Amino acid sequence: MYRIEIKGPRELQNEVLDKELCSACGACTNLCPYIDMVAGRAVMIEPCNLSEGKCYDFCPRTYIDVPTLDNDLFGTYRSDLRIGSNIMVIKARARDDEIKSAAQYGGVVSALVTYALESGEIEAAVLAGASIDQINPKPTVVRNRSDVLQCAGSKYIVCPTITEVLEAAKKTTGKIGLVGTPCQVTSVRKMQASKFETAADKIGLVIGLFCTWALLPQAQDYIKDLVGSVNLVKFDVPPPPANMFIIETETKKVEVSLDEMRRFIMPACNVCFDMTSEFADISVGTVEGAADWNTVIVRTGFGKELFRQAREAGIIETAPLEKERLDHLYEASLNRKKKVLKEMESKKISCLIIREEDRSKLLS
Amino acid sequence: MSYIGIDEPGKRMLLMGNEAIARGALEAGVHFCSGYPGNPASEILTTLSDVAKEFDSYVEWSVNEIVALEAAGAAAISGLRALTAMKNLGADVCADFLMTANLSGTKGGFVLVTGDDPSAHSTTSELDTRNYARFAGIPLLEPATTQEAKDMTNWAFDLSEELEVICMIRTVTRLSHSRGVVTLGPIKPEKRSANFGFQDMWTSGSSRITCMLHSILHEKLKKAQAKFEESKFNWYVGKDDADFIIVTSGTGWLYSLEAVKLLELEEDVGILKLGTTWPLPEKLIASHLRHAKEVLFVEETDPFLEQNVKVLAADLAIEGFGPIRFYGKKSNSIRGEFGAGTGELDVDIVIQALTEIKELTYVPTEKEYISKAQELLSSIVPSRTMSFCAGCPHRASLWAIKKALKWDGRDGIVTGDIGCYSLAMLPTGFSVARTLQCMGAGIGTANGFGNLRRFGLNKPVVALTGDSTFYHACIPALINARWNGANLLLVVLDNNTTAMTGHQPHPGSGVNALGQSSSKVLIENICKGIGVEVQVCDPFNLDEAVQNLYEMLQTDGTKVMIFRHACPLAFPQEKKVRVYVDQDKCIGEECGCAKFCTRVFGCPGNIWDYEEGKAKIDETICNGCGFCAELCPEEAIIIEEAA
Amino acid sequence: MMEEPLNLVITGVGGQGNVVASHIFASAASKDGFNVSVGETYGASQRGGAVMSHVRLSEKTQYGPLIPRGQAHIMLGFEPIECLRAVTGFGNRKTRVIVNPRPIYPIDVLSGVSKYPPIEDVLEAIKKLVSSVHVVEATELAKEAGNPIMQNIVLVGCLAGTEFTPVKIETLKEVIEETFAEKHPRANLKAFELGVEQIRRIKPI
Repeated sequence: MYRIEIKGPRELQNEVLDKELCSACGACTNLCPYIDMVAGRAVMIEPCNLSEGKCYDFCPRTYIDVPTLDNDLFGTYRSDLRIGSNIMVIKARARDDEIKSAAQYGGVVSALVTYALESGEIEAAVLAGASIDQINPKPTVVRNRSDVLQCAGSKYIVCPTITEVLEAAKKTTGKIGLVGTPCQVTSVRKMQASKFETAADKIGLVIGLFCTWALLPQAQDYIKDLVGSVNLVKFDVPPPPANMFIIETETKKVEVSLDEMRRFIMPACNVCFDMTSEFADISVGTVEGAADWNTVIVRTGFGKELFRQAREAGIIETAPLEKERLDHLYEASLNRKKKVLKEMESKKISCLIIREEDRSKLLS
Repeated sequence: MSYIGIDEPGKRMLLMGNEAIARGALEAGVHFCSGYPGNPASEILTTLSDVAKEFDSYVEWSVNEIVALEAAGAAAISGLRALTAMKNLGADVCADFLMTANLSGTKGGFVLVTGDDPSAHSTTSELDTRNYARFAGIPLLEPATTQEAKDMTNWAFDLSEELEVICMIRTVTRLSHSRGVVTLGPIKPEKRSANFGFQDMWTSGSSRITCMLHSILHEKLKKAQAKFEESKFNWYVGKDDADFIIVTSGTGWLYSLEAVKLLELEEDVGILKLGTTWPLPEKLIASHLRHAKEVLFVEETDPFLEQNVKVLAADLAIEGFGPIRFYGKKSNSIRGEFGAGTGELDVDIVIQALTEIKELTYVPTEKEYISKAQELLSSIVPSRTMSFCAGCPHRASLWAIKKALKWDGRDGIVTGDIGCYSLAMLPTGFSVARTLQCMGAGIGTANGFGNLRRFGLNKPVVALTGDSTFYHACIPALINARWNGANLLLVVLDNNTTAMTGHQPHPGSGVNALGQSSSKVLIENICKGIGVEVQVCDPFNLDEAVQNLYEMLQTDGTKVMIFRHACPLAFPQEKKVRVYVDQDKCIGEECGCAKFCTRVFGCPGNIWDYEEGKAKIDETICNGCGFCAELCPEEAIIIEEAA
Repeated sequence: MMEEPLNLVITGVGGQGNVVASHIFASAASKDGFNVSVGETYGASQRGGAVMSHVRLSEKTQYGPLIPRGQAHIMLGFEPIECLRAVTGFGNRKTRVIVNPRPIYPIDVLSGVSKYPPIEDVLEAIKKLVSSVHVVEATELAKEAGNPIMQNIVLVGCLAGTEFTPVKIETLKEVIEETFAEKHPRANLKAFELGVEQIRRIKPI
């Protein structure tokens, strides 16, 4: 058995914040007057005097107890070391025209959230919404289709979605949902497993996104300098080997080498083990070379049921994922894990708890 | 408090030292009074302004002490009787003018009253302003009792007019703020008209003229000295040819008298009490040095008498005086908690000196009592650090600054300044400020810190100031910052009053010392005139305050943020509310709060119930501002309209 | 026979009305023909810090404003730990104390740096050091009179109601009426009277 020691804010500061491991998920903020989220990082105004706290317990960088989380969600430790526990991996896309045109790729996230709201499965959801300047996304609580459509589109600059989750959960009578990156999904599952009681038991649907990095909010100054003060429509990162970051404004498309943008990648992303949101109900990503489809990993029983209902209701359509693409997904995820484990080893970061045999396998 | 302008000569009244000084000025028929609020002198001008209408006199709070002295000097050279009052550090501010006004002379009586603060009870320095009298070469009077405070002030105007030079009176906290019985004298209001024209010249000149005026000043001092030899403010008590004498002035007089009595030394020790202490009445002093073999100097703070009398003794040695053994600060006989020459006097200090020198024993309290008392003091009595009053906007402003600097993350520097917000260095101000010296030093020093980037100091610099302090001392420094490109953010804590010294008005108040409505000089307009970015915000709108401060810190330049919210003591709320903590909602020590209101925020109205383990509001202290209710993470603090 | 001089210390927390209380008492003493000196700590100490007034009465002469260590004959405590603090410095075995037991928490205590001792311990400690201690719930009595802030006037009343000083009750009442002529003279007089009654009703602890 692994011994987890729940610590407090001072340790959060020492072990995570001072080491630049904060991924700005938002889980430690809005819990108390002592921690705020500012410009892509959690800022501790001062540590409170407690030796154990929710901030430490919920943070996805203090400790990630993979065996316990797997057990809680899936009943057993993962059999698939590459992409985590899953029931199926499939291609899917939205069928509704409005959703399709608002979406960046297949529109599956928007479709599933809208369906969950309209069918009463959830009362509200927290998404990364576009802010006024179209650059800095901010956590947005949605309750209906048009709210969801406002939030459609991929975000590349970090959005601390979890800052709003517990507040939203407190305010509803029924369940809520959320769409998050892997670190955000992990923090929510830690909340649900925590000894500290919160409104997290009202979180029903957790949709996770595939993710390799997020950009610091400082990227916006660079982008604004590039395009001037015009309205931005969307950002895009086409699949390798493109090595491009595309900025679309109302009037033009500006292509920037991805290498230019790499300096804005959050340091926390370099030690992230989870490319496909392994603890979500349903994980959604792109399909290489097929811009109007999404890759979908269905993981939990609840996720499976919702996905089936959505398909039957005609909200989404599916197709098998080509073997080539599936293999590529496995390879990409596994390679990332190997790279990250080595990085963690060299930096002496010990927050990831997995089975020893898996660790040795990955490191060899 | 009793009416200070009563025309009943011979009446006995209980007066505060400052009130007695004001009364003395009234009895002398003072016409023009000016000053700047400063502890322990503030009440002198407040008292005079209360009766200004009645006596047809003019009283003004000036923007700072040098303008105050300059304005009074002008009134005096025009033939009127003028008085300026200030605290000790104020003398530093007006020293520039003092060092020329001494030479340029006066026509009407011109009196400067300085209030020193031995032990620095409410000041950032213990400086002894008697040194200014010697430095400037002007007559100095030191009252020892409230009666003398009145009588000396009255006489100072006559002295000043006769000698045509500014005269100085030095008081200390223990005299200014103590009360004693005073017998009133007659008030002689004299109508005078002010005159100054082309035929007049009022200058300290330069070159030969200055030297000539300097020589004239020396002559005036000689005349003063002759008068002082006969002054009723100097006296000697005790054995006529005592071997051991105490030479004392000011509060030292009553302390010495009591010490001698308690030690039963009345037969052995003589006390020479001096009220005119510059220039020294040398003949009088010599007459007692002649018989003394040991001399103990008892005076507040500096060894002023000690050193000057020793100079006299050196001169007299050729006439066969001495040898005399001198005791005082140099011999470490008169010493406070931190040593000789620091801290205020009291009877026990004089007793300690006498018992050591004369090898006596004196036990004020039994040893047993003392040790029991010490034990109790250290084991169960917590200290009581100062804190902002309930409802003080500075608490909100400083919390906003703390948050904004943490958000910024570059370990920003905050320089402090003089006022209630000087407490920004203490836990009540979240220890946000790291420096504190004199008026205006906050932005003054920030000019330096904000220009050290080329030497590697690359951090945000935040300078604090109050509204009154801004007008007094910050404007030149703000201009300097803009001119010399200092990167700094000046935060003006504008509570619409000069709070620490007793809520006097200032140029932004819209009212003057006489209570008349006056033009408002707005701080933001001054800033705009200088050409710096300025914003105004209510610190009680915390989120807005923090966001705005944070954004201002993200770019270079000289900027000003005015945190504006009225002082709750000066402007009490009209609407009465009741604030209380919902005991069910309060989570107290739990994660999510960890006693934020009592442990961190620290308003004295927020108290902790150790038995219930919940926060409560002390309703006798709470002033109803409601700010803690906004901060409570559980919304457990409720504000209700009171019945 | 009165002590020469009679030394009274009034102690409490800034904002509790120390200065007003000492002024009322001293004015009355002056009216009754005594020489009086009052020493105060003003200024910054008002900001929630400890404050003390020294009041000295004499039939013969004027004394300096500060009472020498261990020479207080009477102590009026507006707050219990301030009372104890003053007693350790200025009290002696013969000192007589009247104290309001209602604590005012220093921020050192509220912030968790220090602990506020149990009131019984504080009162016991004072009792160990002095001749007698009268405990008066002055804030409660002040509330009865109309405003808890008048606890200082209640305690002046308590002092008046004992035989500790030669100052006359009638003179004190006159001074109170004059002082508060513009605002609430009756309420303050009531507070004073409640103090006089209460001290005569109770015994020292």
